[in-house]
Amino acid sequence: MIVTWSYKERDTIIQRLDPRARIIFMFLSIISVIETWDLRVLLGWLLLVALAYRLSKLTWQETRRFWMIVIPIITLLVTITALTGRGGEEAYQVTHPLFSVPLWGTHRFTISAEQLFFAMSQFVRMLVMATFGLLIPFTIHPAYYGVTFKGLGLSDKFAVATDLAFRLVPTVAKDFQTTLDAQRARGYELERKGAGLFQQVKNLAPLVVPVTIGTILGGEDIIDAMDLRAFGAKPKRTWIVELHYERRDYVLIAFGVLLFVVTTVARVSGYLHFWVPSWIIPS
Amino acid sequence: MGGQSTLTKVIGAIITTLVVLFLVNLVTGGAKASTVGWILYLVGAVIVLVIYFFFANKPIWEVGTREVVMMAIGAVLYGIFSWATNVIQLPSVSFVSLRPAVAIPIFMGLAFGPVVGFFSGAVGNIIGDALTGWGVFPVWDLGNGLMGMIPGLILAWETQRERRRVTERVLVIVGAIMLLFVILTVLFPNVEHPWMEGMRAGQWTLGLLIITIVLVAVGWFFLRKSPDIAVSVIWGSLGVIVGMGFASLADIWVNGYSLATAIIGEFLPAAASDLVFAIILVPILYGAYEAARAQTGR
Repeated sequence: MIVTWSYKERDTIIQRLDPRARIIFMFLSIISVIETWDLRVLLGWLLLVALAYRLSKLTWQETRRFWMIVIPIITLLVTITALTGRGGEEAYQVTHPLFSVPLWGTHRFTISAEQLFFAMSQFVRMLVMATFGLLIPFTIHPAYYGVTFKGLGLSDKFAVATDLAFRLVPTVAKDFQTTLDAQRARGYELERKGAGLFQQVKNLAPLVVPVTIGTILGGEDIIDAMDLRAFGAKPKRTWIVELHYERRDYVLIAFGVLLFVVTTVARVSGYLHFWVPSWIIPS
Repeated sequence: MGGQSTLTKVIGAIITTLVVLFLVNLVTGGAKASTVGWILYLVGAVIVLVIYFFFANKPIWEVGTREVVMMAIGAVLYGIFSWATNVIQLPSVSFVSLRPAVAIPIFMGLAFGPVVGFFSGAVGNIIGDALTGWGVFPVWDLGNGLMGMIPGLILAWETQRERRRVTERVLVIVGAIMLLFVILTVLFPNVEHPWMEGMRAGQWTLGLLIITIVLVAVGWFFLRKSPDIAVSVIWGSLGVIVGMGFASLADIWVNGYSLATAIIGEFLPAAASDLVFAIILVPILYGAYEAARAQTGR
């Protein structure tokens, strides 16, 4: 199986929290991080999300794949920004060169204090947001997604569809891997040498078509099963799992609201903007 | 969807969004939204209202058991195929990746209606990003949803004749939009890519022109030979343009990009690659589905 939800029952303080409270907190936190460019405050967010990661008791083995993909991509994006000096035009207008390296002819490569700190702020922002996203699949039971979204205001039908989608991931992923292996055994290559762009795209059909059509036809059985159980016969449906807010969940939501309000007020008052320490700026 | 209450909801949503954007603008010190951003918002609001008045009373918005299951299947397929290629990044200012999987929400919209298409695109994007570990990008989730929803609107026309007639008009609109981008890259060839040193708008001219010619030629050819394929290619392309256009232009608000940054840094890499996949893979998928459906009698 190539991909599955990495949820494991751990009985941690994070997992004992109501998933609705956690999703509300995550969204409020991400909005707050988006409002922030001050590296000092962003480092505080990094500490907070590192604490949540620690409390989740996730291991390197479990999350290695995430870090191996996300960190190089974030680093690449941030490095391009830092090297080209673009992307931060709104955050700063004046630059103070730190060092300059001659390239060829009259061309020189210059890094300014603003470029450096903009890149660091951008890196921390992206890392914090990605880590918030990481905690969800690792710490929320896949069977709880539907009832969670229902609890967050989604209609029953959309909540059931969401629930079904998250539950189907391992099954469809297995079909995907089986089809890929079967096609490879027949000599299928994703990237055939010498083929043009359009041919390369057409080459994807032996993989995409059987998995998609097979899954859709298999879905007919699910439709029959749901119809036989009178799905949608009554306007209101019940859920096998019931979620109840407890005091700690209210505390988490209140904390998220507090962080959001404080961040917003600070931002409106002129704080949390891009920051460069004065000691690094050459006099 | 239908009735006075739905219209109230649609107008309410537009006004709420307007207020939220105004507050966002206030919070970010007015730097996020330019005049262009506000104009684009108004254009978007008008498009939403036009879609409402044209399609509100059609049965395409009904959701039964089949739609619920297909929404889930579309989302999971889009999520997994996206996950498989998310690591292949395109030169852009954000996480724009190579996505053959865009064929899935477009196909789901065409086959099962706009609600299934929207859900497949939006939730599938969330699943794909979650599996890759990228976090949540609401604007791009909505953009992917629109990419699946727009093609599904064709089901509002019931007969083949009506569908062919309206698709001819959509082909003209799609061709005109694509040609507009080609002309823009010719008129402003020296606008630099915001991040990619040395890359300029002029470098997109030839590629966009080829895609436009292929798209119009394929659409025109199949409108005469095989209207079903023409519908999937042309409406799929419209879905890509609207969906990716929405997400890219919304980043003028979300990330504070300029119009040039949003178009060159996000829209062109995302839409150009997605159009290639939509033109080739959607008709193949649609044809295979029709054949399988005929065999099983479903």
